[in-house]
Amino acid sequence: MALMSGCTSLQTSATEVGGVRMTDGRPVRDGGTLTIALNSDPDKLDPTLAQTLVGRTVFSSLCEKLYDIDQHGTVVPQLAAALPVTSADGRTVTIAVRKGLTFSDGTALDAPAVVTSLLRHRDLPGSARGTELAPLRTAEATGPYTVELTLKQPYVPLTGVLADRSGMVMSPAALKKYGKNFTNHPSCVGPFRFVERVGGDRIVLAKDPHYYDADRVHLDQVVYKPIPDGNVRLANLRSGDIQIGDQMGPVDVRSALTEPELQLFTSPSLGYQGIGLNVGNVKGLGAEPGRIDTPLARDVRVREAFELSLDRELINKVVYQGMYEPACGPVSPQSAIAPGIPPARCPGRDVERAQRLLREAGVAIPVRMELKVSTTPESSRFGQVVQAMAKEAGFEVTLRPTEYATLLEETDAGNYSAFTSGWSGRLDPDGNIASFLRTRGAMNAYGLSDPDIDRLVERGRTEADPAERARIYTELTRRVRAEHTLIYLYRQKNYVVATTSVAGVRVYGDGLVRIKSAGYTR
Amino acid sequence: MTTYLLTRLRQSLLTLFLVSIVVFAGIRALPGDPALALAGEERSPEALAAIRASYGLDDNVLIQYGRFIGHAVTGDLGTSSRTGLPVADAITAALPVTLELAALSLLLAVVVGIGAGVVAAVRRGRPEEWLANAIALFGLSVPTFWLGIVLVLTFAIAVPVFAASGYVPFGTDPLDNLRRMVLPSIVLGSGLAAVVMRQTRAAMLDSLSADYIRTARSKGLSRRAVIGRHALRNSLVTVVTVLGLQLGHLISGAVVTEQIFVLPGFGKLTIDAVFTRDYATLQGVVLCTSAAYILINLLVDVLYSVIDPRIRLGGAR
Repeated sequence: MALMSGCTSLQTSATEVGGVRMTDGRPVRDGGTLTIALNSDPDKLDPTLAQTLVGRTVFSSLCEKLYDIDQHGTVVPQLAAALPVTSADGRTVTIAVRKGLTFSDGTALDAPAVVTSLLRHRDLPGSARGTELAPLRTAEATGPYTVELTLKQPYVPLTGVLADRSGMVMSPAALKKYGKNFTNHPSCVGPFRFVERVGGDRIVLAKDPHYYDADRVHLDQVVYKPIPDGNVRLANLRSGDIQIGDQMGPVDVRSALTEPELQLFTSPSLGYQGIGLNVGNVKGLGAEPGRIDTPLARDVRVREAFELSLDRELINKVVYQGMYEPACGPVSPQSAIAPGIPPARCPGRDVERAQRLLREAGVAIPVRMELKVSTTPESSRFGQVVQAMAKEAGFEVTLRPTEYATLLEETDAGNYSAFTSGWSGRLDPDGNIASFLRTRGAMNAYGLSDPDIDRLVERGRTEADPAERARIYTELTRRVRAEHTLIYLYRQKNYVVATTSVAGVRVYGDGLVRIKSAGYTR
Repeated sequence: MTTYLLTRLRQSLLTLFLVSIVVFAGIRALPGDPALALAGEERSPEALAAIRASYGLDDNVLIQYGRFIGHAVTGDLGTSSRTGLPVADAITAALPVTLELAALSLLLAVVVGIGAGVVAAVRRGRPEEWLANAIALFGLSVPTFWLGIVLVLTFAIAVPVFAASGYVPFGTDPLDNLRRMVLPSIVLGSGLAAVVMRQTRAAMLDSLSADYIRTARSKGLSRRAVIGRHALRNSLVTVVTVLGLQLGHLISGAVVTEQIFVLPGFGKLTIDAVFTRDYATLQGVVLCTSAAYILINLLVDVLYSVIDPRIRLGGAR
């Protein structure tokens, strides 16, 4: 009830897309400092090395990209003058760079600067962009504002990749001056420029006078503060010490909606959450999958029975206050490129069938399994609900709460039978699929190996026709679902809570809080 | 005294060296690969290998330790693997926050704890003693996190007298600094105040029944002089010992308090470093905290002789 009344009162000034609230169009005044609470401290402020989602949020104010997405999830040019032009054979991509743009250090953005950044993203040791830019053979400035990319093979996800950190252009002068220390003096094209960072406490940015669209930037300063605890973030929003709380959990959002001084922004996410089952990871990531002799790994019927024992709707309702969305495939239905399965078409719970499948498989009942969950209260609740549901079908699930870094290590090494597996999502479906599901994929912790899936992943990356691509990903989803190895259960939503004194904040499907046009209301 | 101090200093350095080994080994015994923690969601084998190489994580543990200790003696504590910022900078930034928090909490604990302890001892069997005991029991049993949230809800949201979070240096804006530090100091100091109160009360009760107090009274000294100059001063030796021991708890208690009030001190730095397996930061923080512990113990020993001249340190007279 609180949620409904909260939403109704909030929607008057909202721009709505598909029943979600992404921005607030009230007029704002110039000036002021906005404090945004993030749920963890970002890592390096270097687009080449950065790994965290919270880091991407800071970059959204600091470093613009060749391409961006709009509220519909469609790719639009940002630092590029137009969408990329791809040759008929798909191996040459031409990017026109916007003229007259200046980095925060006062130097000009041109084609050589774009080339420098792209090659650094691809080649710098430790680059987190290396894999996604690996298909790039060469990058050349063929004119002062024209960049030509040559690819080793057709690579359709490239545009989506350039709409993320790989598309961020850094000032070559700053790169030369600071080298490895660029992270402490980041300089890009963006509405705000870097002022200071106190590790664990704050990142301060100020309005950049060199920015091409500075007239539309209203705030003087932005402060990003890491506040990991959701309760504490909410308390600070209530007291007015912060104005925006990023990545709020469903419980906190419910609580926030009862406050007249707080407003909610929400957008669907491109990622997914589910349970990964170990079917062949015996030697660690990237190694040849082997044989695991447990009923769950051996027999697809047992895995199907486990999936059938789970009720996606109920998990969403009990654990996430009904504020996330049931899911059953790797691609979000919101994806502008090849949308995935809408929640309404996800299979329901069927305990009888699950029991029948277990009988057919001839396994000893109860089927014992261990589920690794992370140590958050939400994750524990999720585990308990799964445990209770699976028990009715004949599974005895033991929960093993494991701290995040350890969880990553153990699942990557193959030291598990089941774990809660999630991904924040990428614009192009390939970013949600290739690394996870391909044989020996960089993040295939499940040991999944299926020639059909491998072939479909490859076809998806090289197929230029969007309609055909959508068909490929539908087929791929069907194949993955039949394996019951990565069981997709729900999609998180991006929830951002802000004080009503702030307007112009934008929250799109990539989960970033955009504050370029934000400010205090008049 | 000088000989004593020199001996203690030598012992302290040896302890610090041993601590560095324990810390180094302990952190590496933690499960969870730092490269993985750093790479997080986006971990490709190439990126992991590059991270390991750039932080020397592939090297032999002895080589890693040698590098760490070699740099540490020159004051270089390395750079944080997560943020790329120098660890020494992070520690320098965090130190004043935790020191101020600890100092204010200590002040609160001493003033409230000793005051209530004296009252409870002097007014034995009266409602004042009962009240002081009840408050001390509350202070000891209430969980820090709960008390923090309740204080924020009450004094930062319902009646916005104090701030809910953040830190402003005293030099920048003294009033704003205090507005932000009062609640955390109460949260951190309450437990210590309770301990101090109970110790003071017990020590005072002992002192008050001692012969020298009877003598003092029989000499016709005023009640204030008997309690303040004789009973309390003698009781303080025990209280100072307890305070010294409890200072360690103050630093560990700061971990939770700093999380609740988003104070960028040692506690927050430590927690963040643990979760991200930031070896360099963690080593730096623990080493500095150990050095502080050792220093505090030394100071407490020296303080004894100041409070009670009968206690002499070392062989030199």
